[in-house]
Amino acid sequence: MSAIEVTNLRRVFKTTIGVLRRRAKEVVAVDDISFEVEPGELFGLLGPNGAGKTTTVKMLTTLLLPTSGMARVLGHDVARQAEAIRHRIGFIFGGERGLYWRLSAVDNLRYFASLYQVDPEVTNRRIPELLEMVGLADRCKERVEGYSRGMMQRLHVARTLLHDPELLFLDEPTIGLDPVGARELRQTIRNLQAAGKTILLTTHYMFEADALCQRIAVINHGRIVAMDTPEVLKREVRDLSVVELEVFGIPPAVVDRLRALPYVDTVSIENLDQRQSLRVQTPRGAEAVPDLMGMLEGLRVGRVVVREPTLEDAYVRLVGGEA
Amino acid sequence: MMRRVWLNLRLFLQGALLSYIGLFAWLRPATYLASKIVMPLAQILFFTFMGISATGQSNAHFYIIGNAVQIAAVSGIYGVTMSVGGDRWAGTLPYLLGTPANRLAMFSGRAFFHVIDGITGVLIALGWGVVLLGLDLTRTDPLALALTILITTFSTSGLGLLLGCISLVSLETMFVNNTAYFLLLIFSGANIQVSTMPGWMQAISQVLPLTRGIAAARRVIAGDSLAQVAPLLVGEVLLGGLYVLVGYSLFRWFEYQGKRRGTLWGF
Amino acid sequence: MNLQAVRMSARVVVAAAEVTLRQNIVDAFVLFTILLQPLVIAVLAMWMLGGRGSENAIFVVIGSGMTGLWSSLLFMGGNSINWERWTGTLELLVGQPSHMSLIVFGKNLAVVLQSLGSMLASYALAAAFFQAPLHIAQPLLFGVSLVLMVISFVCFGLVIAPIFLMNPQVRHWQNAMEFPIYMLSGFLFPIALLPGWTTPLSYLLTPYWAARALHGTSGGTASSSETLLCWGMMILLAVVYAFVSRWLMDVMLRKARADATLRME
Repeated sequence: MSAIEVTNLRRVFKTTIGVLRRRAKEVVAVDDISFEVEPGELFGLLGPNGAGKTTTVKMLTTLLLPTSGMARVLGHDVARQAEAIRHRIGFIFGGERGLYWRLSAVDNLRYFASLYQVDPEVTNRRIPELLEMVGLADRCKERVEGYSRGMMQRLHVARTLLHDPELLFLDEPTIGLDPVGARELRQTIRNLQAAGKTILLTTHYMFEADALCQRIAVINHGRIVAMDTPEVLKREVRDLSVVELEVFGIPPAVVDRLRALPYVDTVSIENLDQRQSLRVQTPRGAEAVPDLMGMLEGLRVGRVVVREPTLEDAYVRLVGGEA
Repeated sequence: MMRRVWLNLRLFLQGALLSYIGLFAWLRPATYLASKIVMPLAQILFFTFMGISATGQSNAHFYIIGNAVQIAAVSGIYGVTMSVGGDRWAGTLPYLLGTPANRLAMFSGRAFFHVIDGITGVLIALGWGVVLLGLDLTRTDPLALALTILITTFSTSGLGLLLGCISLVSLETMFVNNTAYFLLLIFSGANIQVSTMPGWMQAISQVLPLTRGIAAARRVIAGDSLAQVAPLLVGEVLLGGLYVLVGYSLFRWFEYQGKRRGTLWGF
Repeated sequence: MNLQAVRMSARVVVAAAEVTLRQNIVDAFVLFTILLQPLVIAVLAMWMLGGRGSENAIFVVIGSGMTGLWSSLLFMGGNSINWERWTGTLELLVGQPSHMSLIVFGKNLAVVLQSLGSMLASYALAAAFFQAPLHIAQPLLFGVSLVLMVISFVCFGLVIAPIFLMNPQVRHWQNAMEFPIYMLSGFLFPIALLPGWTTPLSYLLTPYWAARALHGTSGGTASSSETLLCWGMMILLAVVYAFVSRWLMDVMLRKARADATLRME
């Protein structure tokens, strides 16, 4: 039996616009997605912001009802059998919310342990262990309002493991963490999977998905555009080379013209301080460089690199160059 | 000179419009119904019945009028302090204070709409009194009553401006507002005869808005003419103006302190 | 329901109560609702009703204390759900296995116990004002009435909570719900003053029976059969509220999950 089974899942949000004359508007956040996650797997849901990752996770953790379609977690329907699921899963949405600021870390953990009906003896043993594991043992008696964002995120990790769930949902767990903290958290996640837990992770960091996940579903605009192991996804772009150009303030009109070229697959821009990294995916590789330079005439161009595609490029191609 | 007047007037109107939009952006008909129509009724009924149980039906009008006029404090206090304090929460305060605009015109504009709102509240409350509790308005001079209500609402808004300025520096706005509202229930004479209060309480009553307004309203409804309550009304207007001035000065002082100590951004 | 489950549920209730108490103890709004507002009402009531003599003192103390109890339950019990939504913890509370009702029960328990403090405050104020010893006529019966009052108030709060969970806009009606309950429950004046058609409404409210029992046992004006009637009604209503609230809570939770209102966006 799969740990997670999603079939034609759909979620539509209704909002209203306007003050005096309110008009209804529908937003399709998750549009007919299907996937399965096997027990013990570390599965990634990868997509840009607004793709529908968090909405999907909220449905699977019984916080949101699907508009249509079906989702089963650990064999139970998320809409109708929510109670059976809740004590066997843990979830993190992270950030600064979701903790009681006026209480200490220990108090927060104790409270959630009671809610999750963890035996008191087990609680007393597990809380120090978890605090040690996430590196909060020395500041556990301070009020949470004084914690940094990274510390709060780590407290979330401790909280979600209190009742030793077999299935974990981690929604963008490393966002807002410094690189060291993020790396430590990724190691923790690997350890959890090694201990036999099933994990569904959402992220918009391609390298994170590549590093951690055994299988990845790429989601964009509420739809799954690809689903496979990282290796297979990279093969998606095997035929492509990536020309990376360092530019300084390229006008959008020029970018559009580049995109319109017949031999250009996608163009994406990454802003790095004052510079921009323009990435052009094209099967022509190095041969395309003179033409591209011609299109960029008059603009200042720095380094030019032609390289093999990575998972990140596969991702960019899959989401249509919007990343 | 004329240009100055015109600029200030425009500021005033813009402030009023802003207040209006701010108020109605989140307001739904149900909410308006609850706060403008049901709540005043509930308050009047509660105190009137309590008063009747103590001193009999004949004194009902004392409590009805007292509480009806006191309703002005809802808009005056909550409405105005939210308007003034709203800038702080919206983070726009530093920007506002960076302009050379006349602060008085700015804030008076905001208070203006709440004065109108307050008048409406009092009228609705008096309406309830007539319809449900048999309040007798036959001997009332309409002009005198209208003026009384207008002036009272103005003076409570003045208090609101002052409280709003305080709320700019203190975090516990609602605590301050609620305390002010409930203390007014005692000191304004809405439910207790001012003359029966001990000396120190009477002194406090006299420096608070509403006291003279309520007294004037009671007398006007009993049949007094405008001329007879004029001293009370003049006192109320002056008091209101004083609150506005003090509030404004306080605001300028905070502004100065804020700029000096760099705390404007940290509000 | 086995013993283990009962113990687990009790633990959840206690945990929720403890967490609520810890957080409220420093909240200015809480202090206002528990102390200042009932005190103001007590002062007004004492002034307005005080002409009747000092036997009236205990009536005013109980009555104004109960206004504090009701306001606390209304604002803090009602707001607690919204507050959890605001801090982002509501989702966590919904997503965990213990039923929401247990958590709300615990929160309400904390709120009611806290605001018993307001009754103590008006007691102290009255003692100072009337300069006469305040005397409870039937202390034992009063004590039982107090306990039943706490339980039934907490259960009444269980019905309010899901309604506030459903719609954040309901918050605006809170102010309009204070005084009407004061009146319908006869806290500070007999409901006989109200029009006859409101009497059935009063009978449905547990605050009415609580006030009647507490006034009766403190002033010594109630016969034992009347006190028993009040107790019976409080118990009956508590049971009814508990069942209705459980159903309401499930309906409201489902609605919140469907409408995505568990989190402020």
